[in-house]
Amino acid sequence: MALLEVASLAKSFRKEPVLSNISLRANAGEIIVVFGPSGTGKTVLLRLIAGLEEPSAGAIAIDGRDMADVPPEQRGVGMAFQNFALFPHMTAFENIASPLRSSRANGMVNSGVSKVAKLLKIDHVLSHAPRELSNGQKQRTSLARALAASPKILLLDDPLRNVDAKLRFEMRLELPRLLRQSGSAVLYVTQDYKEAMALADRIAVLLDGVLEQVATPDEIYNAPHSLAVARLFGDPSINVIDSRIEGGRLALADATIPLEAGYSAYNGRDVIAGIRPEAVALASDVNVPGAIAAVVEAVTPLNERTVLLLKAQSGWEFLASLPSSGAAIPEAGARVVVAIRPAGLHLFDRETGRRLSPDGIG
Amino acid sequence: MMASELVLEHVDKVYRPRGKQPVVAVKDLSLDIRPGEITALLGSSGCGKTSTLRMIAGFEDVSAGAIRLDGKPIHTLPPARRGVAMAFEAYSLYPPLTIRENIDFALRSSRLSAAERKRRVHEVAELLEISDILDKYPAFVSGGQQQRAGLGRALVRNAKLCLLDEPMGQLEPQLRAMLRGRIKHFLRSHASTTILVTHDQTEANALADRIAVMEDGVLQQYATPAELKNRPANLFVGAFIGEPPMNLLAARVDISDSRIRFALEEGGSVLAFTDSEIGVALRDRLRGLERVTIGVRPHALRLGEGPIRARVSSCQWLGDQTHVAAELGTMTVVSVSHEKIRAPAGREITLSIHPNDLHVFESDTGRAIAHGGRMA
Repeated sequence: MALLEVASLAKSFRKEPVLSNISLRANAGEIIVVFGPSGTGKTVLLRLIAGLEEPSAGAIAIDGRDMADVPPEQRGVGMAFQNFALFPHMTAFENIASPLRSSRANGMVNSGVSKVAKLLKIDHVLSHAPRELSNGQKQRTSLARALAASPKILLLDDPLRNVDAKLRFEMRLELPRLLRQSGSAVLYVTQDYKEAMALADRIAVLLDGVLEQVATPDEIYNAPHSLAVARLFGDPSINVIDSRIEGGRLALADATIPLEAGYSAYNGRDVIAGIRPEAVALASDVNVPGAIAAVVEAVTPLNERTVLLLKAQSGWEFLASLPSSGAAIPEAGARVVVAIRPAGLHLFDRETGRRLSPDGIG
Repeated sequence: MMASELVLEHVDKVYRPRGKQPVVAVKDLSLDIRPGEITALLGSSGCGKTSTLRMIAGFEDVSAGAIRLDGKPIHTLPPARRGVAMAFEAYSLYPPLTIRENIDFALRSSRLSAAERKRRVHEVAELLEISDILDKYPAFVSGGQQQRAGLGRALVRNAKLCLLDEPMGQLEPQLRAMLRGRIKHFLRSHASTTILVTHDQTEANALADRIAVMEDGVLQQYATPAELKNRPANLFVGAFIGEPPMNLLAARVDISDSRIRFALEEGGSVLAFTDSEIGVALRDRLRGLERVTIGVRPHALRLGEGPIRARVSSCQWLGDQTHVAAELGTMTVVSVSHEKIRAPAGREITLSIHPNDLHVFESDTGRAIAHGGRMA
């Protein structure tokens, strides 16, 4: 049985539905990242689980026990927030100790705090007041407080939002191990797709109050259920173009792209093609099947990759993302030929936006 | 229209708040921005980049030095007479005007025909994907759309000099890469000399021909994105440019039997290179130096056979790249690969550095000594 079970949960404010039909399970030691743009109900979901809001429908069970009548402090839930929410008049030590005070002897409190402080590398600033801490230390203190009471469920609401890029990257590397050690089931909210992919065992993509897809980072990236999900993952974001499947091929204005055999089941279907920029590769010549001739409008380096803005003959603009260290990068104004690697080509029904599975089912 | 050249000569900016110590915001800054070039001023908050832009625009006086546009000093002219177009993050749209009127307003003092003004507004609206909101008022569009409209107002003028202050911070992630490309293409084809202020190195790298990296009011390096990455002038630039940041390793130098050995202070591994791998000049330069700092970019720290032993602490795949973090003594190094790889936490691995990818810095001053065997 899962440590956390959310079943058909719904929440409305003044009859406006904010969350609908949310079902989600999380096991001990598992990290579920709740991902979506702002205003999709991520924080509301955490508040419902914490008991800070009452559901309009559905149920939440923790460790097999229904939470309907259980007050927040008895749910075994720890929380940390993007604004840290530390008590300003308490030292870092007292902040971390605060959830332990009611239930444990002082000696136990001391050992509990020092253990988690050490883990988070803030043992040297425990006597400091929050105003004396850097943002990074505040954020670690806030995490330590959430972890101190060994909660069954750990709810983290975009905890890296307000720390600088360097620290965010370091924490991204460190957090999975730290969170797994806690043995809690973790729900982690973020709007950063890279953070979601780096941290998650599974990602729950929340869009407009509905779970669009719950799956491993791998599945989300390589087999997005819908165009909306595909557009949220990837930098640069996926290229999108209206198209049609004809004779088992994808008919674009600028090229006819061969497709895997299974797609023949959708012949005659209007689709939206999603093409990952890293799946657009330079081709040797125009005779390669599916080759597209284009002009390089702009060359924009992106870390160790180079992004090309390409314009095909029909006027279609699309992006290619090439490793900078590979073959020579063309210059702005150059004429090039590109081809699309099948693994980075995703097709969606134009009406519904749902993924068309390459095996022809769906 | 000919593109303009902008030159900053030994420019200082000192703020003198009453009753307090003077604050030096910009110190002895010299930059030569070529006609049609896109230059980014890059640095963290307080580095002097915004003060510099404000001096160019004429919102601030220069405390010392000169600013010349096509040879003529402009630092004494009022802002309106400098022929400069601007898009500022905080430079809000006029609320009582529609988006279309806001953009067109930038052309009010031009002598363009009504038809030409209309064509230009249409052109930048298409480019920035705001054609469908042209008749809305600023209060009724999103932050990202407002920012795009602000950019439109700057681009539509085809000014000799275009100043952009954090112009893309609010842009929708789905549009960002596409708009960067289009804006770069637009600035190029209109031969606009452009200065872009940003704290976001991704934006600077994508748009700029050259980047001026600033810290504490001092120019650290002014170079192309590739040069900043491959030949950083000092440890600050090396660590600041690049995501994830460069791995920096303290090492003891040992030169004997025609080999140079770097003994890493963390983890105890030893890197050995021959003269033919990293050059006699570097060997001679390292003689007499006891300690140096070795830099290696995450993409150049390669998994597989190699002299550096480490233990995997995390392995994260991000769709188009894998980040492997590994412990080397008490520090963490990061290796990035374009491929998808699996390296479970706890596994012992070895790593290598190709001599062409080796950066060597003076430990005490931070100055670069050599990059890939070529002297700095």
